[in-house]
Amino acid sequence: MTVMLRLHPALRSYVEGKPELTAAPGASVRAVLSDAGIPVELVAAVIVNDEQRDKDYVLQAGDRVRLLAVIGGG
Amino acid sequence: MNGYGGSILRVNLTEGRITRTPTSPGLARDYIGGRGFGIYTLYHEVPKGADPLGPENKLIISTGPFAGTMVPGGGKCDWTTKSPLTGGYADASMGGHFTAELRYAGLDSIILEGISPKPVYLFIDDDTVELRDAAPYWGKGVFDVEDEFKKKYGEEFQIAAIGPGGENRVLYACVNHDIGRQAGRGGVGAVMGSKQVKAIVLHGTKSIPVADVAGLRTASLALFKACKEAEMTRDWTRYGTNIVSSWCDEVGALPTHNFQAGSYEGAKTLSGPVMREQLVVMDKGCFACPCPCGKYSRLKKYKSHLEGPEYETVGLFGANLGISDLQDVGECNRLCDEYGIDAISAGVCVGWAMECYERGLLTKADCDGLELKWGNVEAVHATIRKIAFREGKLGELLAQGTKKAAETVGGGSEKFAIHVKGMEQSAYATHSATAMLLAYMTGDVGAHHNRSWAITYDLQVGRDKVVPEKVARIIWLQDFRPMFETLGCCRLQWVELGIDRDLYMPALDAIVGGAHTWKEMEHIGARIWNLTRLYWAREIEGFDRSWDMPSPRFYSEPPKSGATQGQITRLEDVNKLLDIYYEQRGWDANGLPTPETLKNLQLDQVVL
Repeated sequence: MTVMLRLHPALRSYVEGKPELTAAPGASVRAVLSDAGIPVELVAAVIVNDEQRDKDYVLQAGDRVRLLAVIGGG
Repeated sequence: MNGYGGSILRVNLTEGRITRTPTSPGLARDYIGGRGFGIYTLYHEVPKGADPLGPENKLIISTGPFAGTMVPGGGKCDWTTKSPLTGGYADASMGGHFTAELRYAGLDSIILEGISPKPVYLFIDDDTVELRDAAPYWGKGVFDVEDEFKKKYGEEFQIAAIGPGGENRVLYACVNHDIGRQAGRGGVGAVMGSKQVKAIVLHGTKSIPVADVAGLRTASLALFKACKEAEMTRDWTRYGTNIVSSWCDEVGALPTHNFQAGSYEGAKTLSGPVMREQLVVMDKGCFACPCPCGKYSRLKKYKSHLEGPEYETVGLFGANLGISDLQDVGECNRLCDEYGIDAISAGVCVGWAMECYERGLLTKADCDGLELKWGNVEAVHATIRKIAFREGKLGELLAQGTKKAAETVGGGSEKFAIHVKGMEQSAYATHSATAMLLAYMTGDVGAHHNRSWAITYDLQVGRDKVVPEKVARIIWLQDFRPMFETLGCCRLQWVELGIDRDLYMPALDAIVGGAHTWKEMEHIGARIWNLTRLYWAREIEGFDRSWDMPSPRFYSEPPKSGATQGQITRLEDVNKLLDIYYEQRGWDANGLPTPETLKNLQLDQVVL
C-alpha cells in the first residue's frame, strides 16, 4: 500500500509537472521530498488528514497528504 | 458611470461643510480607484510641506470597481494620507464590510479635510450625511465604540473607528473596523484623531451600476469556482496567515529578538496547529470572501476575545520579543486593536526598546519602572498601554516610532532600529533574502510586505544572489499586486490560493465596460508607484537613495543562531540592488524618475 502526497502547483516543476508523489508508509515527509528532488525548504506546510504536521512526520497507511508552498506572502 | 458609485464625498471638518462631487471619468480611467484615487488627491490637494497632523493634510478613503460586487474579496478600501510616522506617502488597506456599504451609499471616496472644533463622528445613511457629536465615545476603546454604534443604529451599519491611540496621535495609530480589521499602517488613525473624528458610521442601499450583469455573474462564478478548487483553500481557511510561522522559523525569516536572528527556539508553540487547537473559536471572513483567513479566538488565560492573532503579530509580539505563549501574544494583539495602534509597528518598537534595555541604553527608570527584558509579558502589555496613552517617558518615546525614538536615545541604537523610511519592518527577517530585502527597501510606504513579497523566490533563485531577475520580479510585483487594492479587492485569493489572475479581467470588463488587460493594469500600477515616489521627493528635503537603505542590521550583523546563522547581505550588494532597481525603474542615481519615465507614464503633465 502506498501513500499519495498531493503537490502544490509551485512544487510540481521539480517532478516534471506531476501533481502527486507516492511513497511507502514508514517514510518521513522530509525523506520523500529529498528523494524526489524537491527542495525541502520550499514546502511551507505539510497537511496530513487536514492537520498541519512537521516535515519529520512519518507517513501512515491511509494518510491523505497535501504539500503546500507559499507564493505570495500576505 | 458603470462600476462606480459616482460621487466623492468631501467633508470640511473646520467649517462643518459636506459636499458631493461627481467622480471624474478621467480619474477613473487613469487611476482606477483605491490608492490610485488616494495618491492623485493627496498629490494635488495637500500642499507641499503640510503638517501631517494639521488642517492642511487630508485623509482620503477610496475604493474601486470590484468592491461591493460579486467578485471574491471585493471588500477593500484604501486610507491614504501624508504619514505622521514617515513624513511621506502612506496608504493603509482595510477589509471587512465597510467598503461594500461605502459603495452602496453611492460613494467612491470620502475626503476628510480640516480639523473639527470638537470630537465628531461622520454618519452616512445613503444621502443622509451628518457630523454628529462624538463626546460620549471619545476616550473609549474601539470594541466598545463599535458595539455602542451597532446597538444605536443597527447591525447593518458598518463602523470604522479610532481608539485612544488615534486620539493621542500615536504616530502609528490605526483605524479599526469589524473587531479585527484595520487600516493599519503609517498612522492613518493619528491623522483621523488629529481631525477629531472618532468614527465613520456607514450604511447604504443603492445599487452599483454595472455594464453587463450577466457577464459579471459568469466571471464572478468562475473566480469563486477557482478559489474553491484551489489546492490551498481548505488549509488557508483552517489556519489563516499563521500557517506560515513554522516555515518562517525553518527558513530563517521569523523575526527573533528584534530581528537579531530569523529562527526562534520557542517557535513550535507559536505555530498554526497550536493556535487552531488552543485559541480559535471560528473562522471569520470579509465581504464576499471564499477563504476566510480571519480567526475569532478566545484567550482563556486573559478571559478575553480577539480576531487573530495573525502571522505578523505572532512574529513581532512572539519571537521578536522572546514570547512563546500564543495566549500572551494574542493579548498583545487584542490590546493593540482595542487601543487602535498598528500591531506591526508596535511590535517592532517594543522589540527595539527591549534590546535597548538589555544593552543598558534604557534603564528601569527610563522605562517607568518596567523591566523590559526579553520575554517579560507583563512589561510588554504595560508598554502597549503606555504607548497608546502616551504615558510616562516610555510611552512618549515609543509613540513616535522606532526611527525617532532611536534618534532620541542614540548610543548606537539607530543601528538596530528596524525600519525603512521611518516605517517599522513587518515580520520577515531579511539577513539573507536579497529580493525580500529589496522589497522592503523600496516599498512606497516604507518597510511593509504588502507591495511585494519574495521569500520563496529568494529560496528558488538563491537567497544571496543579486541578479537583475530578482529586481525585475520585485518591480513587477510592486506594479501588479497593489492593483488589487486599487480595484477594491483583496489580493489574497491570487497571492495565497494562486488562482489564475486572468480570471479577474472579464469581471472588470463586465463591471465598467470595455476590454482590459493586466498589462494595462500594470502600466497604471507603475504610474501610481512613480507618483508616490514623486510625493516622497516633494515632501522630504534632500530625498535620495539613503531613504531606500535598510536597517544596518541586515548588512552588518549576521545572526548568531538559527537557519541563517552567519549569513548576511553585503553592503556592496545592497547598493548593487538599488543600482539595478533604479535602472530598471527608469530612475536616476538618486532614485528619482527621469523625465522620460514620467512621459512614458503620462505623468509629465500631471506633475508640472
